[in-house]
Amino acid sequence: METSLVEETFLDDNFLRQLMSVGEVDLLVGIPSHNNAKTISQTVLTIEESFQQNFVRDRVVIVNVDGGSRDGTCDLVLNTPSPKSQNSRGLSSLRTLHRITTRYASQPSRGAAFRAILTAADLLRAKACAIILPETSNFTAAWVKSLLQPAYREDFDFVAPLYSRHKNDGLLARNLLYPMGRAVFGRRIRELNSGELGFSGRLAGHCLNLDVWREESVRTSPEAWMAVTAISSGFRCCQSFLGPKVHSLTSSGTDIVTAVRQTVGTLFWCLESQQSFWMERTGSESVPTFGPEHELTSEPVRVNRKRIFDLFLSGAGELSGVLKSILVPETHAELQRIATDDDRKFRYKDELWVRTLCEFAASYHRAAIDRDHLIQALVPLYRGRIFSFLQEHHDSSPEDIEAHSENLCLEFERQKPYLIERWKAK
Amino acid sequence: MKEMIVRGLQQAYENMVHMIAEFLPRFVVMFIIMLFGWLVALLLKYSVRAILHLTKLDRISEESGASQVLRKAALPTISELLSRAFFWVTWAAFTLVGISVLGIPVLHEQISRLFQLLPEVFIAILILFVGVLVANFLSRAALLSAVNAGYRSPRLWSGLVRFVIWILAVTMALEQIGLAKETVIAAFSIFFGAVMLALAVSFGFGGRDLARQVLERHLGDKHKQESEKEEEPTPL
Repeated sequence: METSLVEETFLDDNFLRQLMSVGEVDLLVGIPSHNNAKTISQTVLTIEESFQQNFVRDRVVIVNVDGGSRDGTCDLVLNTPSPKSQNSRGLSSLRTLHRITTRYASQPSRGAAFRAILTAADLLRAKACAIILPETSNFTAAWVKSLLQPAYREDFDFVAPLYSRHKNDGLLARNLLYPMGRAVFGRRIRELNSGELGFSGRLAGHCLNLDVWREESVRTSPEAWMAVTAISSGFRCCQSFLGPKVHSLTSSGTDIVTAVRQTVGTLFWCLESQQSFWMERTGSESVPTFGPEHELTSEPVRVNRKRIFDLFLSGAGELSGVLKSILVPETHAELQRIATDDDRKFRYKDELWVRTLCEFAASYHRAAIDRDHLIQALVPLYRGRIFSFLQEHHDSSPEDIEAHSENLCLEFERQKPYLIERWKAK
Repeated sequence: MKEMIVRGLQQAYENMVHMIAEFLPRFVVMFIIMLFGWLVALLLKYSVRAILHLTKLDRISEESGASQVLRKAALPTISELLSRAFFWVTWAAFTLVGISVLGIPVLHEQISRLFQLLPEVFIAILILFVGVLVANFLSRAALLSAVNAGYRSPRLWSGLVRFVIWILAVTMALEQIGLAKETVIAAFSIFFGAVMLALAVSFGFGGRDLARQVLERHLGDKHKQESEKEEEPTPL
């Protein structure tokens, strides 16, 4: 049953044959995998358990797209025995539970995997789809329901997940991606960059028809691009609470530099490609949310704050010349000034942080320096910001942190005219 | 005997005075030509800059993407680059004319050869230009990577990358114009080999602890790796 996609953009005959043998479906769950033999069986079983409990009468399929696993991941997807569970009314699924697996390339690529899943959804005329990452260790059957249900039963087109997080977790999303995305695109979607998401067949078809699949930003972070596309094209968006997000041992290695390059690079690219949409907009609107809108925990965790601060200081000093070509002189001078502060007094205030990001985005737009270099130059400043955040919120309650996040979002919205001014400046 | 020595010295002195009397005016002429050339070059530089500014070349270059390439290499705008090129070419031409006034046959011959070598010189300049572009780009990439990885002395790494690429570009350019071909290649090979040997030795002696840490990070036990990851909060 395992097949190979000859080119990352085209489906081969065997895969098409498998899709045709499935026919049309109502629901599709895609699993992008790469050497996930340890967790893939459990992921497949949990998805099928959810199908048996929540979608008894519906036509369903699991599509595994693999990026060249060498540990038998694809075989496990096909050969793991189906669970014999029943729902609360004592019913098990009335339909065949289909599983398809294909290899889209010999090297993993999020964009290529995403595109293969979207193509399968389009060909099978799926009404609602979800993508589940096999490396998420605490994934439950309820997640599948939460991601599929809004698109399937409530007519939403894009379902962003919401997680319960530790207060020090997801700081890039909290300090940059969410507030900036919200201020620019005008929708309060917290998790723009999550690998787990739900979407309608309509949105899948729309995204497939856009000529962007060779863009580096779409290839590295297709989920964020889909979220922005859904917002800017007027699709109905919502959020659905899943529960705590726990990174598995195999996946937690996404370091800060990679995360910033992928996510901020994609966000800035979306700003560039959607500028006609966001330039005239002001303020932001909330989107319907299923479950709590946020949940923070605050148990103690070990963070090496000294190292983070040292990396900021080193970056601010060594990259001064690079930063000078990105930032306006006043902002650059202010950054150099706070870099001389004692670590106990150090604060990277909201106003300066937002101004820094506006100038980075504008410099990205006019390609002041190589764009990848520009994003990398942001990393030390981001470290300074999270050091400041950790100092400020060492003893803060989850409510205080939420209040602060809201203030940061409002600061971004307040400075949007400055972003536009810098964006238009030659 | 004594008279002969005195006459010889007198002759030598007269010859020297004669040579200086003949050379000095030429030297002054050369100096005047070079100074005049410098003024003309400066005038030309500002004129070209003003004309290019009027023609909005920078905007055209911006729209065509050429400015982005220059910025990536940390080079100035196209009009600035062209005006500087005019300055140097003009001044170099005046300098060559000035040197030829000195009337030294060897120099005269070399200058004639230089004019014959103009096509090769042009290609060599192009090689140097691309070398500068690549060196600036890669040295900045090295600087950013070193800073973000928390390495010590990131500017040293960046400078080393720039220096090695410059040396490579200069070697290629000199080879192109056929200047001391064997010497240049031998010098480059010795230099490159020495740098590699120095790096190997210094890493071996000075970086034993670092090498152990790197190996431990890649081959060591999972628990240690996980505890290291806790040092920075998960970004996403």
